[in-house]
Amino acid sequence: MYVDLKMRATINQKLTEMGERERLKELLRAKLTECGWKDQMKAHCKEVIKEKGLEHVTVEDLVVEITPKGRALVPDSVKKELLQRIRMFLAQHAT
Amino acid sequence: MSESGSFIISFRVELNVSSVMSPAGCSHVNGYKVDNWKQNLRVIYQCFVWSGTAETRRRKAKSCICHICGAHLNRLHSCLYCVFFGCFSKKHIHDHAKNKRHNLAVDLLYGGIYCFVCQDYIYDKEMEQIAKEEQRKAWKLQVGQLMPPLIVSTYTWSSGIGEKYTTWEPTKRELELLRHNPKRRKITTNCTIGLRGLINLGNTCFMNCIVQALTHTPLLRDFFLSDRHKCEMQSNSCLVCEMSQLFQEFYSGHRSPHIPFRLLHLVWTHAKHLAGYEQQDAHEFLIAALDVLHRHCKGDTTHDNGKKANNPNHCNCIIDQIFTGGLQSDVTCQVCTGVSTTIDPFWDISLDLPGSSTPFWPLSPGGDGSAVNGESHLSGSTTLTDCLRRFTRPEHLGSSAKIKCGGCHSYQESTKQLTMKKLPIVACFHLKRFEHSAKLRRKITTYVSFPLELDMTPFMASSKESRMNGQYQQTVDVLNNDNKYALFAVVNHQGTLESGHYTSFIRQHKDQWFKCDDAIITKATIKDVLDSEGYLLFYHKQFLEYE
Repeated sequence: MYVDLKMRATINQKLTEMGERERLKELLRAKLTECGWKDQMKAHCKEVIKEKGLEHVTVEDLVVEITPKGRALVPDSVKKELLQRIRMFLAQHAT
Repeated sequence: MSESGSFIISFRVELNVSSVMSPAGCSHVNGYKVDNWKQNLRVIYQCFVWSGTAETRRRKAKSCICHICGAHLNRLHSCLYCVFFGCFSKKHIHDHAKNKRHNLAVDLLYGGIYCFVCQDYIYDKEMEQIAKEEQRKAWKLQVGQLMPPLIVSTYTWSSGIGEKYTTWEPTKRELELLRHNPKRRKITTNCTIGLRGLINLGNTCFMNCIVQALTHTPLLRDFFLSDRHKCEMQSNSCLVCEMSQLFQEFYSGHRSPHIPFRLLHLVWTHAKHLAGYEQQDAHEFLIAALDVLHRHCKGDTTHDNGKKANNPNHCNCIIDQIFTGGLQSDVTCQVCTGVSTTIDPFWDISLDLPGSSTPFWPLSPGGDGSAVNGESHLSGSTTLTDCLRRFTRPEHLGSSAKIKCGGCHSYQESTKQLTMKKLPIVACFHLKRFEHSAKLRRKITTYVSFPLELDMTPFMASSKESRMNGQYQQTVDVLNNDNKYALFAVVNHQGTLESGHYTSFIRQHKDQWFKCDDAIITKATIKDVLDSEGYLLFYHKQFLEYE
């Protein structure tokens, strides 16, 4: 468990250093917009806001409400593609 | 960007001032806005949120971890008052805020400012401005650096000058216009806006169905509805202006059929060969209309192409951007195997059909195999792909049509092959159903089946090159969506050459189809569309890249 965390930290560091993290973020954003995920989440946010009332809802409310659904709705193809890109990057920059 | 089928436009023009949130943010930022706070904030954004240079990135990679638990995830936030990073999810930053009475923190992922007193993200105008500027700066720096070509082709949001894509926000003028025009239209998946019948003015169905196809070409619609045409013609005879008017009519919400007499008159003026009340060919009308629109678009060429505007072949008008593709013609000398290549622009692909006087089968010398994609000709039906394969087959030019070979310096027999060099955003396929040979004039009614989705990869010049280099088994690149097309309009002709009638099917909202028969619009099924004879087939690229 410790090893896994350390590895994640190292990978994250490498990705950030080389600017790859930003590029992957943009790629992910584009993919999630394309497949309609962003629109789905937007619609869900609107529902939560209606429920809680516009005057009282906080960003935290929204985050808590939509995070599980958001995670579940990411298409497998998007996950696969991101994973593939990360693997490619790591292969190219193996130390 | 894939075409989205539905969108909802709703504006709240009045600013809603709530008890917690105000346009000036919360009052608790006042304690922060002292001395050189703006510069300090900029530094925080540059170093820890949007790192544009390699140096800041390295620093960010090393230092952006939670001071309590060391994690880099969990929605890390940075304190605005001191150098402290803490997880939001694990409340480490909350503990810090409480202990040190530092009430403001910034989200390192999105740059939002959190106020621990208000217990929510706050939107301070001045701070937002700084955040926006720093984000733009970092983006410009990133785009300027070398990016691996693989990743650049997948997402190119920048418009060439390093601008990051930002969501649209109305200007003061636009807000004013919205206030003065309070009528709103909500677009749902069932609404029929954009659909309107067209009165037949005397055998003008050939024009009506092309108008239906054009008004439902998404990019063209977007161009005209956002008022992008700047007219430079002095007279009132600009066809592009008329097109713009037509879009206004179609999207006005009026349900009564439109009478396109002005359009007809303009077409007669600019394309005299189409004048008169006889039935004309819809395909000819399409090409003539595109040609006139292209010529009248001179005012819209962007500043980049100032020099190109004078060259009729290299225009960057909306017509060229949408409809123009490049057809590659390779003539191979049979003696020295030297290849002479030319690339010509095209707006449509005219395909020969079986049943015409030119033989359709076999497809090519040596045979290209007729069982590709499981298509069987025993069932008797020709497919669009068959026609495309025939179009792109190598063809012996024969001993009576020898070409002068640059390599051999003499006339030699040769083969010619056509392939697609550059695909247009909208591909129009013209099935040559009207035969006008010396002997006879007739209509070929052979049924040709066409798909809802079409992949043009096998017909590309690049695919041909791979085949020639021995790569017969091309691995299907799942990530390459460049050559995938979706059907959005079909023009059909019923009847004979002497007396016939044109109708069209057009697609609305991704999977709803409508039949347009002059003034009458009816709902149609996908089966109706795919079972129809097909004369002009309009396909739209499924995935678009910004350039």
